[in-house]
Amino acid sequence: MDFVQNFPFISIILSLFSGPLSSVLSGKKAKMVNVAVISIIGVMSAAVLAYVLGSGQEYVYTMGHFPAPWGNEIRVGCLEAFMALFFCVIMLLSMIGGQKEREAEIEKTKQNLYYIMVNLLLSSLLALIYTNDLFTAYVFVEINTISACGLIMIKQNGRTIEAATRYMIMSLLGSGLLLLGICFLYDLTGHLLMSNIQEAVRVLHDTGAYHIPLMVSLGLMSVGLAIKSALYPFHAWLPDAYGYSTLSSAAILSSLVSKGYIFLLIKIFFRVIGFDIVRDSKVINVLFVFGVAGMIMGSVSAIKENNIRRMIAYSSVAQIGYIYMGFGLGTTAGVIASIYHVISHAATKSLLFVAASGITDASAGSTGFFDLTGAGYRNKLAGVAFTVGSLSMVGFPMFSGFISKLLFAQAAVGSTHKMLPTLIALAISTVLNAVYFIKTVIRLYTPLKYVPTENMTHKTDELFTVTMEQQPFKSVALICFILLNLALGLSSEPLIRLIQNGLGMFA
Amino acid sequence: MNGWIILPMLLPAAAGIMLLVSSFLEHLRMTKRIKENTPVIVDEGEKKNLHYLVGIVLAITAVLVVWTAWSGERQLVLFYLMKEIPVYFHVDAVGRLFVTIVSIVWVAAGFYSFEYMKHEGEEKRFFGFYLLIYSVLIAQDFSGNLVTMYLFYELLTLVSMPLVLHNGSREAIMAGLKYLFYSMCGAYMGLFGIFFLYRYCSTLTFLPGGSLNPYLAEGNRGILLTAVFVMLIGFGAKAGMFPLHAWLPAAHPVAPSPASAVLSGVIVKAGVLAILRSVYYVVGVDFLRGTWVQTAWMTLTLLTVFMGSLLAYREPVMKKRLAYSTVSQVSYILFGLSLMTPDAMTGALLHTVFHAFIKCCLFLTAGVFLVQCRKRRADELVGIGKQMPVLLWCYTFASLALIGIPPASGFVSKWYLAKGALEAGVGIFGWFGPAVLLVSALLTAGYLLPITMKGFFPGEEAVVSEEKKEPPKGMLIPILVLAVLAVVLGIMPGGLLRYAGQIASACM
Amino acid sequence: MNAMIMMIVVLLPMLSGVLIPLLPFKNRRQMLIYIEAMVILNSVLVFGMLMNRPEEAFTLFRFTGNLSVSFRLDGLGSVFAGMVSALWPLATLYAFEYMKHEGHEKYFFMFYTITFGVTLGIALSEDILTMYFFFEMLSLVTLPLIMHTLSREAILASRTYFYYMIGGAAFAFIGMIFILTYGTTLDFVPGGVLDLAKIGDKTDVILLVYVLCFCGFSVKTAMWPFSSWLPKAGVAPTPVTALLHAVAVVKTGAFTVMRVTYYSFGTDILRGTWAQYTVMILVIITIVYGCSRALKETHFKRRLAWSTVSNLSYILFGVVIMTPMGLKGALGHMLFHAVMKICSFFCAGAIMYKAGKHYIYELDGLGRRMPKVFIIFTISGMALMGVPGLCGFISKWNLAAAAVESQNLLAYVGVAALLISALLTAIYMLTISVRAFFPGKDFDYSTLRGIEDPNWMMMLSLIVFAAAMFVFGLHSGPVFTMLDEVVAVLK
Repeated sequence: MDFVQNFPFISIILSLFSGPLSSVLSGKKAKMVNVAVISIIGVMSAAVLAYVLGSGQEYVYTMGHFPAPWGNEIRVGCLEAFMALFFCVIMLLSMIGGQKEREAEIEKTKQNLYYIMVNLLLSSLLALIYTNDLFTAYVFVEINTISACGLIMIKQNGRTIEAATRYMIMSLLGSGLLLLGICFLYDLTGHLLMSNIQEAVRVLHDTGAYHIPLMVSLGLMSVGLAIKSALYPFHAWLPDAYGYSTLSSAAILSSLVSKGYIFLLIKIFFRVIGFDIVRDSKVINVLFVFGVAGMIMGSVSAIKENNIRRMIAYSSVAQIGYIYMGFGLGTTAGVIASIYHVISHAATKSLLFVAASGITDASAGSTGFFDLTGAGYRNKLAGVAFTVGSLSMVGFPMFSGFISKLLFAQAAVGSTHKMLPTLIALAISTVLNAVYFIKTVIRLYTPLKYVPTENMTHKTDELFTVTMEQQPFKSVALICFILLNLALGLSSEPLIRLIQNGLGMFA
Repeated sequence: MNGWIILPMLLPAAAGIMLLVSSFLEHLRMTKRIKENTPVIVDEGEKKNLHYLVGIVLAITAVLVVWTAWSGERQLVLFYLMKEIPVYFHVDAVGRLFVTIVSIVWVAAGFYSFEYMKHEGEEKRFFGFYLLIYSVLIAQDFSGNLVTMYLFYELLTLVSMPLVLHNGSREAIMAGLKYLFYSMCGAYMGLFGIFFLYRYCSTLTFLPGGSLNPYLAEGNRGILLTAVFVMLIGFGAKAGMFPLHAWLPAAHPVAPSPASAVLSGVIVKAGVLAILRSVYYVVGVDFLRGTWVQTAWMTLTLLTVFMGSLLAYREPVMKKRLAYSTVSQVSYILFGLSLMTPDAMTGALLHTVFHAFIKCCLFLTAGVFLVQCRKRRADELVGIGKQMPVLLWCYTFASLALIGIPPASGFVSKWYLAKGALEAGVGIFGWFGPAVLLVSALLTAGYLLPITMKGFFPGEEAVVSEEKKEPPKGMLIPILVLAVLAVVLGIMPGGLLRYAGQIASACM
Repeated sequence: MNAMIMMIVVLLPMLSGVLIPLLPFKNRRQMLIYIEAMVILNSVLVFGMLMNRPEEAFTLFRFTGNLSVSFRLDGLGSVFAGMVSALWPLATLYAFEYMKHEGHEKYFFMFYTITFGVTLGIALSEDILTMYFFFEMLSLVTLPLIMHTLSREAILASRTYFYYMIGGAAFAFIGMIFILTYGTTLDFVPGGVLDLAKIGDKTDVILLVYVLCFCGFSVKTAMWPFSSWLPKAGVAPTPVTALLHAVAVVKTGAFTVMRVTYYSFGTDILRGTWAQYTVMILVIITIVYGCSRALKETHFKRRLAWSTVSNLSYILFGVVIMTPMGLKGALGHMLFHAVMKICSFFCAGAIMYKAGKHYIYELDGLGRRMPKVFIIFTISGMALMGVPGLCGFISKWNLAAAAVESQNLLAYVGVAALLISALLTAIYMLTISVRAFFPGKDFDYSTLRGIEDPNWMMMLSLIVFAAAMFVFGLHSGPVFTMLDEVVAVLK
């Protein structure tokens, strides 16, 4: 066994332990540790990815000395390795971009707590990505939930506490359903390792025995994870959580946390149950309907929003709807499109949040719509970044959003009666996205003197220009995000192939 | 030489444009002067020069035109407007006839207007457009194919509108716009038909009897008939046929009298020519005879004949009365054309000639009443006979001709129309048509003759000045000439009859 | 010629446009000379390219395996590219004079010049994806032009504009996906690329998608019921409305519809179906609707904008007849209308600029003060009406001839609609001229003090266009021979 193969395990352990380690360090040192950990894990994941691509197949890594089916396993294919790498990149950029806000908004004595949460979050994400055991997955889902709650709450004002509470309740509901589902499955199959479960399920399916409990279990797991990842209509916690928490939290939550759950769901579909069985069940259709509804309703709510952060948060609801719609199509192409969208959305949404904070900086900290007038002139980089993000959301060619749209549409054409609703929903959603994003972009570039000021909460002389030198970290983060988006938009072919291979290796 | 065809068109056009440009520049200078508050002086000598110029141009053109028309068969392809569709001139029998009528009327009314326009003003502009219209009419009459004719038909509307709006009053501008839009509407309806004829006839060049392609037409009779009908209504607008006639009573009276004269006398005949050419020389009457199109056409024309006469009878304002009369009389011509027999066509062609001279004469007299006696309404013209006997006699003879009393000219044309109707085999129209014509003749007498009566026999109560004051020679002579023609052509119609008869038989 | 020329003519205006705010010009005159020089240079390159057509395609970059942005020049593209390149330098010249009083010129001309490149990109697109790419980009780069004055009206107008554009693109996207799935290639091939075997019995779905795609691309041509953005966009400076909304943006929409109908879906599958009837009905409604709105409109530029709405549907009418003759008529009108409408807009702009009059009822008697402009305006009005001797008659003739030829009953209705529209056009154009020249006996000319004809830069463009209308009206043979060649590939 090559040393490289240990890396996934090391990543998980490293991040897991650096959590408690941060509790004894000061804020500054904890931050440095955190950055170091993320970077190291990123590099390790890259190495693993190279390794897996080189060998052309996935490998299984046994934890401890107990072989399957009693022991615990990690399974690494190119998709998992890539997701780990990508999550690290996004997390790093989000942390860099949100640094100034963290220092401003979190009490000095509690700064290190933040990094505990982040580290734990990273470890749970990695575990979700790599694990091959269903119960381990559940454990880390819970860790994920708790650290996410912490991330929201750390800013400590009334709004965030309320948001965190709501999040906790909804999330635990989801976890509960997930646990129920897992228990059923365990009962039916007697296994906890995913690959083993799959064999057992196949036998069950072929014989037709215990059909209903199997479907119920599948349903419970799907709904549970759907709640946790804020599928419409279970999204109510999302706008507050993303809208009011500190910047890096919002970025991480929207890009990574919900995606972790989605990734687990994909694993359950492909590796635990088997995609053809899932396709035959009606669960897919339910997900499809909710996904499409989310696409439309999320955008409709966003249009009504006056607070830019909440608007972006509602946009996330819509985007998650896209992903579930992709699942709902019931084809491999649809799942590939969803996975691509996971990646694309992670990149774009964090971009938007960081850019939005740059814009509010130039508007004396206010997030209200009217106060943002002309902010594009005051903070040029943030304005450009926000425009890039918006265009990507709308699906402009050259940006990653276009490729997502393309993949979804192509996948839709494959299936028969879901095709037209999908295409029309895509079209309508594009228009709705355009409405609120482009409206904002136009407002960013409307000079102040052309607008009546009675709606603004700050006087014009309180606003000031923000240049790149004043916010070095944020600017770096923004530039990296923009380049990432363009890279995804212009040369997505290798990535799509990787996803295809990965998915092939998955099952 | 074929190129000669162009000359009579170019000469008046050039002169007309020159006059218009000069008039426009004068106006520009004038508006600048008004800015600086200096008065405007108009030179008497200038006016005389203008008259000489216009008079000479008119005379030369008339001579040229008549010579070009009657000295042999000429044709000319000017250039290709589109692929296979040239701007093409061809002097044929119909063209000769029309061009001669136009020239006679144009010269007569032109000389009349030298005197008349002294009362109206803006002479340069008037004569500029007057000459331009002459040129366009010649071009239309000489046109050898449908597109060329349509080109000049549309141009005719555009250049004749300014004459309607001449006096610049709000009423005139409204009338001018009404004229413009009815004509345009009609022209476009005509164009609709032309599109279909382009496809279903082998050529758009005028050939007696038409050039409809029977194979193509076979499966598409319905649409083709509809297209022709639309075209008839469209071109009929210029000829004042119901339902697109409403512009005529508005536009003709409000124009200066010589303009009204030529509008009623000749310009409406452009519509007649358009219908004549399309029906007889492109589609061919064989296709239309016996169809619903013919029936509808006859109905519309008879309706117009009756309606026009009735409205004329009840109209007190003189010029408007004459305008309604035009509406009615031109539909005599169209009725004749709708019957599609040689005799009816002969009658129609004859009436074209006669009505042109008669109506021109009548309008010119109305002009005299207007400017010399300052009387607009027919019932004001009491005792005119004492003051201007010669004028009133001319008026009377022209009226008699219009009513159709032998041996005046109108009788001959109406005779042929009735004959044609009875022979045509068109069911009840065969006798109903002549009946309507007869009623209309009675009404015509009713609206024309009272002026003669009141003029010569004013009755005891009327206050009438006894002095004789004929209109100036410049105005009287054209009227006299036209009135004489109206009568003489009736007494000796032989040559004209033969000529018209030849045209008719060539087409059927 | 080398295929790289295609990349050059698309990118050159974009690059030179981006440089405008960055280059250190000593004075305004230098900047103007630079801009005009680059535009003329590009137009010359385009004409050179049209005369020595490059044979191969040129790929700019790839998205994924079979999805790339590539250029290829064929007959249809040459017509559009030629038209755009001929008109741009003149329009730019006109804009110089006009923008003197507007301000923020650098950014204006930057986007203006970039639009040139993007429009050429659409003309030269080899496949539907490339065309879609530049189509979206066009919406984006024209947005700042509409927003230019940054008044409240302008901002609202630009928002409406963008929403419509994105909506249209979203539905056009659906069509593109179908071509991707059911077509043998994404490239434009005369006669269409649909693989009939793959479609099987799903023809109704294809037809529905075509209608959606048609409507999507037609939003740019302001077809009913998507018309309202165009008159609103009239709030932009006149050079923008004239060029973009008489030439670039709207004709692009028509061009894309042509490509999709004849070169992607293919008319054989569409002719005679309910899809054709649906789109034809929409087009016919627009023809009459546009003119009716123009008649009721008293704001000068908005009246012309509604006239554009109607005239664009003339072009679309030719397209939906779905025969080569129909396409020929459509292309003819595309060319001639561009000339006529730019001329009218420029006259309107000159009047607004010199006399400050924005509404029709303020124009009484102005004909005496600005005779040259109003004479040219009258000529353009007569051309739009279709008076024989001017180019409008020729294009109408060709459209009607194609309609009659097709023996399609609905097409006959279309011919009637064309003529009704011509009549309405006569009314709404000529009443302006009549007011201007014959304001009535008692009109007081002293109220028009100080107004005069504009200077040579504006007048030159006007005179050139007026001459063009006559030339095309009397000598259209060469143009239509060229168009015959272009559509010959479709037979």
